[in-house]
Amino acid sequence: MKRRDFFKVVGGSILLMQSPKLVFASPSVTSGSNKKFIWIILRGAMDSLHTVIPEFDSDYSKLRPKLSKQITEPTLKIDKGFAFNPAMQNMHKLYQQKELLPIVAVGSGYQSRSHFDGQDFLEGGTGTQNIKSGWLARAVNQKQVEAVAIDYAKPVSMRGSRNVTTWYPSKLKEADDDVFATLEKLYQGDERLTASLQGGLELKADAGGMKAGKAKKGSLSELTTACANLLLKSKTMDCAMLETVGWDTHNAQHSRLDRQLKELDAGLLALKQAMGKEWKKTVVAIATEFGRTARENGTGGTDHGTGGVMFLAGGGVKGGQVLGQWPGLKPEQLFQNRDLMPTTNTFDWLATALSQHWSLNSEQIKHVFPTGKIYKDRIV
Amino acid sequence: MSSDAVIAVNRFGMGARKGELEKASRDPVQYLIDQLQPISFNEKLPNSDQLSIHLANYQQQKRLMKKEPESEQAKDFAKQQKQIRRYLGGNFKALCCDTLFRSIHSEQSLAWRLLDFWSNHFSVTTQGQMMRVLAPTLEREAIAPHMFGHFHDMVLAVMHHPAMLVYLNNDKSFGPNSKIGKRGKGLNENLGRELMELHTMGVGSGYTQADVIEMAKGITGWSVARPQRDDTTGFMFRANGHEPGHRVLLGKTYRQGGETQGIAMIKAVARHPATAKHVSTQLARHFVSDNPPESLIKKMTDRWKATDGNLKEVMITLIKSDEAWHQERQKFKSPREYVISTCRALNFQPKKQQAFLWFLKSLGQSPFQANSPKGYGDIEADWNGPSAVMSRANWSAQIAKSRGFLDPVYTMRQLLGEQVSNTTELAVKRAESRPQALTLMLMSPEFLRR
Repeated sequence: MKRRDFFKVVGGSILLMQSPKLVFASPSVTSGSNKKFIWIILRGAMDSLHTVIPEFDSDYSKLRPKLSKQITEPTLKIDKGFAFNPAMQNMHKLYQQKELLPIVAVGSGYQSRSHFDGQDFLEGGTGTQNIKSGWLARAVNQKQVEAVAIDYAKPVSMRGSRNVTTWYPSKLKEADDDVFATLEKLYQGDERLTASLQGGLELKADAGGMKAGKAKKGSLSELTTACANLLLKSKTMDCAMLETVGWDTHNAQHSRLDRQLKELDAGLLALKQAMGKEWKKTVVAIATEFGRTARENGTGGTDHGTGGVMFLAGGGVKGGQVLGQWPGLKPEQLFQNRDLMPTTNTFDWLATALSQHWSLNSEQIKHVFPTGKIYKDRIV
Repeated sequence: MSSDAVIAVNRFGMGARKGELEKASRDPVQYLIDQLQPISFNEKLPNSDQLSIHLANYQQQKRLMKKEPESEQAKDFAKQQKQIRRYLGGNFKALCCDTLFRSIHSEQSLAWRLLDFWSNHFSVTTQGQMMRVLAPTLEREAIAPHMFGHFHDMVLAVMHHPAMLVYLNNDKSFGPNSKIGKRGKGLNENLGRELMELHTMGVGSGYTQADVIEMAKGITGWSVARPQRDDTTGFMFRANGHEPGHRVLLGKTYRQGGETQGIAMIKAVARHPATAKHVSTQLARHFVSDNPPESLIKKMTDRWKATDGNLKEVMITLIKSDEAWHQERQKFKSPREYVISTCRALNFQPKKQQAFLWFLKSLGQSPFQANSPKGYGDIEADWNGPSAVMSRANWSAQIAKSRGFLDPVYTMRQLLGEQVSNTTELAVKRAESRPQALTLMLMSPEFLRR
């Protein structure tokens, strides 16, 4: 529902209609190609070798004598000798239906192993430390669509665009509508508060009455379901961002990753189900700030590393194949004799996905990823 | 009432209570300096040692129940388990709420703001049963006692506290060449890294991956006692898990010496010049502006170095700096600040203290739930978003409804003095009801910012 419609419904005064700053009513927003792009960031550095397991590589179990043995259930085979962790049942089905595309040995180019700088780097997308402008916000600007971050405030990926709003489930009873009407006046002259309020009002109606079904409160499934509902209700909102935390598995990695992967697995399935037939036109990109050490550490886990894995999912992707170049796991093949060596760049894959899915040309992609290269082969 | 008093009470303190602006206006600078005094907690609440014993008993019972589920003892335990769970869960809430309650009612709210700052600086998250028990004890036991002393003492206390050791996995980090290491346990870099990156020097300040590993090795064996097996509680140095040999950190060699090796290494990073600058910048950013002026950071860093990191002196320097007293409200309140300042403003006390936790959850900042050792964000971009503003408006309206007997204009003067825009003034005066007037005041830019 557009903001204007909302005020018609609640009986807003004429004066409000004249408010100068309309976040979404700008003519720069096209009326929806309906090609949806959803970005899921896994905060904490997901361990790729325990997720997309290189079973063909004889060094794998040497580097991880204990961790590799903790996977007792049958792994889920995919191409080139890789296998998914047994927790990824739904993702494996997606893979078989050619709707999931894992890309191994990727990295953003960040090499210093700090979560927080690594996340900013991945979200900024400029190849530098930058928290003012995110690649997804720039893509949204180029595509001229609207976007929602499932969060209380804008994460770095979504900073730098007026077309971005935020939404998070809340149990609070809503304040009277005329409180919001007056707040609009109060915030004149305060650009940031105005933007927040407008964004909030925009989604108030859409999100109202939205039920997440049986999903556990606060779970990724609840959030992806809600996210799909928001995207489906709007004609102009074609982009969303979600995040999950808890991937920093320094200890007891196997059981923790089992939980995490199950949550991701269920969240993706819930997203697919809630998107309904729009899933066909949807691309989901999933990445993490960096990978973890190739060797297991002393506490049943892994420490901060470099190369990792990313995924593209959705009815729109050319799934059912494993992309990326495997660098090998011998000491001299590891980055600094420690981490999986990144052989391709996360931003290049994201640039390619965006360019193919949203038909952004190379000029537009330069605004999104200044360093990004576009691959010729279709991945979407 | 001077505008400086409004700044003192709102920007430095946790927001005005009735009559506070008047007190502050006599000498706003001195008013703040006088607040730099130790704070106290409800001492009837259990500490980490007591809680750990309960948790250990609980876990031991659980193990036995699994092993011999049909025994009489197991049936006995089944009854006790629920009680212990309730005891532990209740105390988590009580400890969190004690801090909130005291922040709201304190006459030295600057000190409580500092506690929140440091608690977030050394952020711990409640993952799992052990952390849910330990997390809220860190600020009480390791942080509060050192807020007006030397920074390196605070760091040492935190690094010795079970909450931090467990949260960042150091309790089970052992030297690969130690006795325990040779039995198959090993190194975990987590705490060593975050100590340097987050707690002290800051990322990009010149240390290397090799320094991180040396730091982590230096504190191998820094562990936590298991109450039944070790017959004690709290920090425990496990000498047979400590990596033997000397360590080289930032170009300096630290001789083998058991626990003292780690202490010397921690002290070195805590007293490093990069730490003085990193933490001064964070303090200035918290109190003054998302982009604090270099001149202010320099004054604080210089004072830090001159006093060996005396935090009271650094705070006095901050308070006495002109750069901290600009009129423009450049800081956007975090949800926690917003809840505390609202409760102070309206003298609001929920019927059940635990409601505080629901408030914070609804606004997106549950205690000890940052889910990251970096803690919650401290700049406007972290908190000023559509969902955040909507939930604040909804929450304020709910609170204001229960305070409808307050005179809105009088309350506004008590909080913000004359430092209110015409628009806000008119909106409050013309509101259709008292609760609505209060809601608008709480949601005004003047109250959302400080």
